[in-house]
Amino acid sequence: MTDDSREGIRAVGAYAPRLRVAAEEFAEAWGSFEASGIEEKAVPEADEDALTMGWEAARRALAAGDADAAEVDWLGFATTNPPMAEEDPTVRLGSFLGVADDTTRQTFTGSTRAGTRALFAALEAETDGVALVVAADCPQGEPSDAHEHAAGAGAAAFLVGPDAPAPITDRAEHAEPYPGTRFRRAGSEDVEGIDVTSYDREAFRETLAGAVDAVDADDPDAAAVQAPDGGLPYRAAGAMGLDNGTIHTCATVQELGDTAAASVPLSLAKALADGHETVLGAGYGSGGGADAFVVEADESVPADLAIDGGTDLTYAEYLRRRGDVTSGEPNGGAAYVSVPTWKRSIPQRHRLVAGRCPECGSLAFPPEGACPDCRSLVEFEPVELPDTGEVEAVTAVSRGGEPPEFAVQQQKSGEYGVAIAAFEADGESVSMPLQIVGAETSPDVGDAVATVIRRIYKQEGVIRYGRKARAEGDE
Amino acid sequence: MRDAYLIGAGQSDYGSFPGESYRSLFRTAFENACDSVPDGIETEDVDEAVVGTLGVGGRQLGLPGPAVTEHVGLHGIPVTRVENACAASGYSVRQGVQAIRSGMADVVLASGVEIMTDVSGDAVRYWLGVSGETEWERLSGTTFAGVYAQMASRHMQEYGTTREQLSHVAVKNHENGAKNPHAQLGFECSLEDAMDAPTVADPLNLYHCCPTTDGAAAVLLASEDVVENYTDDPIRVAGVGAGSDRVGLFQRDTYTAVPASQYAADRAYEMAGYGPDDLDFAEVHDCFAIAELMAYSDLGLCDPEEAGEFVASGKTKRDGEMPVNTSGGLKSKGHPIGATGAGQVVEAFKQLSGQAGERQLEDPQVGLTHNVGGSGGAAVVHVFERGMGGDAA
Repeated sequence: MTDDSREGIRAVGAYAPRLRVAAEEFAEAWGSFEASGIEEKAVPEADEDALTMGWEAARRALAAGDADAAEVDWLGFATTNPPMAEEDPTVRLGSFLGVADDTTRQTFTGSTRAGTRALFAALEAETDGVALVVAADCPQGEPSDAHEHAAGAGAAAFLVGPDAPAPITDRAEHAEPYPGTRFRRAGSEDVEGIDVTSYDREAFRETLAGAVDAVDADDPDAAAVQAPDGGLPYRAAGAMGLDNGTIHTCATVQELGDTAAASVPLSLAKALADGHETVLGAGYGSGGGADAFVVEADESVPADLAIDGGTDLTYAEYLRRRGDVTSGEPNGGAAYVSVPTWKRSIPQRHRLVAGRCPECGSLAFPPEGACPDCRSLVEFEPVELPDTGEVEAVTAVSRGGEPPEFAVQQQKSGEYGVAIAAFEADGESVSMPLQIVGAETSPDVGDAVATVIRRIYKQEGVIRYGRKARAEGDE
Repeated sequence: MRDAYLIGAGQSDYGSFPGESYRSLFRTAFENACDSVPDGIETEDVDEAVVGTLGVGGRQLGLPGPAVTEHVGLHGIPVTRVENACAASGYSVRQGVQAIRSGMADVVLASGVEIMTDVSGDAVRYWLGVSGETEWERLSGTTFAGVYAQMASRHMQEYGTTREQLSHVAVKNHENGAKNPHAQLGFECSLEDAMDAPTVADPLNLYHCCPTTDGAAAVLLASEDVVENYTDDPIRVAGVGAGSDRVGLFQRDTYTAVPASQYAADRAYEMAGYGPDDLDFAEVHDCFAIAELMAYSDLGLCDPEEAGEFVASGKTKRDGEMPVNTSGGLKSKGHPIGATGAGQVVEAFKQLSGQAGERQLEDPQVGLTHNVGGSGGAAVVHVFERGMGGDAA
């Protein structure tokens, strides 16, 4: 058995989309902005969702903790917005990361408390290696609704295990029925609430205070408190025995918006990355229930956070990204890639697994058919390519130049780049076509690109994920 | 082996024809081809037919060959549909030559047809990409405009090729197409027009891309044993060459050449006993402006680094040293995918038989056609010469 007193957080990763929309954009469009305390918020690109953001945070946590995905024997994923209402997202997340196929996987959803629930579950998990907790979210609502004005995006991930620099020393939970403060109807994508201000505040305050009262948190340096907007946490501060500054020091809501199940995880990530020692976590989920926990970071926690903004959107561009003003999938139908065909290529799509020819040593991508070099009909040896390649040829596809599978993406995000990039492994090079994400749609021939996981497209209701690439230095 | 001869060739107008079907266009091309045979030809003389088509829109994906030949009264004979994307009917001509050279047929109809403009914009874009490598290339978000744009990016980087040079391809081909009554975009364009058009896939703009087209083309081939029944002025199929390559650009060794074109040209030149210096004109596959520049070097007309200047200097204009795409090419004449290769042979026939009207070259003797499928997964090259050729010449 492990030393329980050192069971806790070993490394931290976080991610938020680079796209931002400012509160003023909403105020200009609507006459007022309905989410207090939010200055700007993060907006997922058309090809981002909770799973891709979760991967971004998870790979950073692994890298920060100098851990290999193969060491992960417990994987938890928390979100109120799984890309599919039914279908286990942890299977694909695990595949993106390359965790073992016998890793225990658990999904936490249905509540903004899912992130803290996942963290608690990781502490309970029987692991020989490390547990990886990933919380990612991107809530949305009706355009006029306050929940929508607040809705942001982001993800945080933690490596959890024994002998941690930041053990979790105490935790508690508290529940009390408060129906209606925030909910999503079955089949709906939009968060809503009954919007009775005093009742909403009471539910938030009483449940959180109940949980925080039950933990031994003596004057924390920072408090990672659930932030449905930038005002509510401070209205509950007194009931939790906190001052506003303790909450504000690690708050992310003012820059990222409401990150729902990732709200407390993101604030915790920020607190640990900033070197705070005693951190109180306080997660809230409507219904209502709350989790409280205490982290004592007496050593510094390895952290890799990529949560800064890059590109400012107008409100119209924001609506395009949300899909509020775009049409659906075009009609047509040719060049079909069946789901079983896609499945066979998943190691390549998710992790760039190329093949080495056992006869001549050349690389093939995808690793199938005759060797591209010696033309022998061989069984290729799997070779995982590095994340970074070099642009060999490139175009930027304008509106109308895209295959119809990408028409909706074009409507949402506009022009995109497509490069052929070469990747090297053991002195051999192999090339593949990759869509370019990020602000720089058209890197030059010779530029370096790094691959990322994004949605490729959706057909027959099935989301296909794969690698795209980002120009190096374009975060 | 017996020689094969081009005894007639004809095409429909190229363009957008809501009132026509793939069968009615085929009939027009067939009738024009028959009418072009100097001493006439009867339907029952045709021993075999080959039909190139991709089947854009999915209208008759199975058995499109018999579906068009029956429409002109050719049912009964062997008919084969050839699919090699945009090189479909270049390959149907090659297959016709093979049938004749093997001795299995004396007269072959080699043809192609495509209707592309009666389907929605979305649907046609589904179809335009179907000959790209589907699983990786297309799903990176490219159709052919994007793939050829990638080649252009590399060509510019390696050889200093410019947008202006690419635009010269459009200017030249439109100048020629304006003199071709069958052309879809039969108007001239200025260099400014061709420079300032909206971008489709950077660095390619609208004037660097061919249109989508309805059209049909038909070529009549005869063996040396029967050619004198049809003409006193035969045109010999001097050389035929074809080649293939990896379907996806990313899987090839070069992005600034089309190796399948090089294989095809080498084989055609070798069979013909001619080289690029012997040509009086060439019809090349200019689906995108960069494709014409790559064709120059793949066919040995110039070195790759000279390709941009080769067009900009006017050498490939009608009055230049090596006229290319006197028909207007795919850019101006149009690109009805399955009909394009046979349509190129129609221009070779017209030039070599002195029937090219306002765009007629002065007494050409040897001409070449070059037809590419997709971004270079398949290519086929023919060399034609006036006269009986070889020992008979």
